Amino acid sequence: MTTLTGIGSTPLSGVGTARWFRPDALELPDRPDPETVDTADQRERFEDARDAAREAIQTARDRAAERVGEDEAAVFDAHEQFLDDPQLVGQIEDAIDDGTTAEHAVSDAYGDAVSQFEGMEGRMAERADDLRDVRDRLLRELLGVETADLGSLPDGTVLLAERLTPSDTAELDPEAVAGIATVTGGRTSHAAIIARSLAIPAVVGVGDALLDVTEGATVLVDGEAGEVVLDPDEKRRESVSELDAPVETERVSTADGREIEVAANVGRPAELDPAVARGADGIGLFRTEFLFLDREGPPGEDEQFEAITAALNAFPGERVVVRTLDVGGDKQVPYLDLPSEPNPFLGRRGVRLSLSAHADLFETQLRALLRAAATDGGGDLAVMVPMVARVEEVEDVLERVEGVAADLEREGVAHAVPDLGAMVETPAATEMAEALAARLDFLSIGTNDLTQYVMAADRENDGVADLHDPLHPAVLRAIDRTVRAGHDGGAWVGMCGEMAGDPDLTPLLVGLGLDELSMSAVTVPAVKQRVGDIDSEAARELAGEALACETRAAVQSALARE
Amino acid sequence: MDRTVEIVPEAGLHARPASKLVQTANAYDATVRIGHAGADDDELVSADSMLAVTGLNAQQGDEVVLVAEGSDAEAALDALEAVLTTPVEDEDGSAAGAEDAEAETGDTEGDP
Repeated sequence: MTTLTGIGSTPLSGVGTARWFRPDALELPDRPDPETVDTADQRERFEDARDAAREAIQTARDRAAERVGEDEAAVFDAHEQFLDDPQLVGQIEDAIDDGTTAEHAVSDAYGDAVSQFEGMEGRMAERADDLRDVRDRLLRELLGVETADLGSLPDGTVLLAERLTPSDTAELDPEAVAGIATVTGGRTSHAAIIARSLAIPAVVGVGDALLDVTEGATVLVDGEAGEVVLDPDEKRRESVSELDAPVETERVSTADGREIEVAANVGRPAELDPAVARGADGIGLFRTEFLFLDREGPPGEDEQFEAITAALNAFPGERVVVRTLDVGGDKQVPYLDLPSEPNPFLGRRGVRLSLSAHADLFETQLRALLRAAATDGGGDLAVMVPMVARVEEVEDVLERVEGVAADLEREGVAHAVPDLGAMVETPAATEMAEALAARLDFLSIGTNDLTQYVMAADRENDGVADLHDPLHPAVLRAIDRTVRAGHDGGAWVGMCGEMAGDPDLTPLLVGLGLDELSMSAVTVPAVKQRVGDIDSEAARELAGEALACETRAAVQSALARE
Repeated sequence: MDRTVEIVPEAGLHARPASKLVQTANAYDATVRIGHAGADDDELVSADSMLAVTGLNAQQGDEVVLVAEGSDAEAALDALEAVLTTPVEDEDGSAAGAEDAEAETGDTEGDP
């Protein structure tokens, strides 16, 4: 067993058979005598190659948009612009006019540009990757070299490569590829981002040591530890099997029969199918921000209605919790013209914005939601409001829902009032949980923000990263209080957040009394598998022990004893 | 005519903002050049070249000068200023970056 270290880029593990991806070496023929070059012919070859490359880029763009979303797909817009860059095209055409063949002209011009970016740091070096990607597309066209078919690799492949371009990565089939390891690259490279969106375990920047791994070797990629393990032993392989848990499409119960709903968090339509495929019992958090970002103006009622019904249709008969628009503070939507704030996390965000400056957007969203709630055949809609701190906010929301329902009634539009809930992420909400629950159908605890507010530790500030810890007893006690008060108020209580998706914490969370856990789809099977082993009484004891702890370390050792 | 603008997008004039800038520059009937504030005329680069624009390596907070000629010059400058002052996260940010943030801060509950 040999362990190589790199940068963990997708926090998942996978094990499989090593397969090297060496894009066919693009060797150029010797440069011919300029006198013998037919300039018009070479110009035409270049134009043809450019057309083919443009088509390929657009195909890659569409595939990326479909699989991982518009945001990741945007990188291919930049590729297209590099392809049509007047400076590069001009340089290539001038070289051809001077008697250079198209392939040499392309290689020279892009080579200059690549080296210009290569010396720079960080993101600029990634532009060099983008340029290489475009250059290689052109050269493959000009040289008639087939592109390796990354879309149909055998199951259980661990793909090894010197580097992967964004296009290469977007082609990968997440079902077949158990992991990726590359010699170069960083966490924020486009390829790494796409791999993450596809939930493919990945370790990048392993260095030259990776080159010694032979084809066919058994390799474990641990994207959490940032390790590539050759010939992993049984124990190490078992650490992977947890995430490779078999998909369970039925609801699961603890060993003593208590049903726990295991749902998925979904941030964009492309994630619906994977959530179904992983056996999620429904959607515990459907973020609506994707409808609002990266556009010139807000989405209309019908567009939102379509998106919500698509989510409902993916989960017939199951609950789909849709969160109303959660922007403001640090998350900017240009057309909303939100003022910048000195403490964005303590500013006008979530429901605060929906009830004040952007009541119009909120009303439109409520109209779409109430209409979707009346559609048949799909899941049961539930609507969740983010960033609640006061009972008054919930009362205000309920009034607006009533108002919208009355409007729709008057207009003769089919509608229904869905279950309503609040996201509990402020200490104020944990304190007032019973009063909130009395007015609502459910509460869902957002542990990341709750941790930030309980510990007064900025999520994004590395300097206080050790304080930002959901396992701290202060956070656990806030969760405990919310669950108990929520139940006393007559509501069900769920949790959406990274904490909910950690199978090691499942017994603790079940012991704390949560009715529903919602997480990234990738961890649904592992959490479902874990639930079956839990004895409710033992879990309650474990939770009691953790709640009595005074330090994080004590919580940790209580969990370890379990 | 020219205009000096401070770059607002977090990632500076890199992939997405640069891409948007090039698209915008191409959409107007104007020749637009761009450079770091205080650059000599011969140091300005063409705003319709992705290569040239990203090659400026202009960061958030840097001031850049836009020089436009042609019938749409003023409209082009307005549009380009809007691109440069709209605080979008770059494409390493946005959803992807949000995922970075998720991975690093454990945000799958999707708090903004």
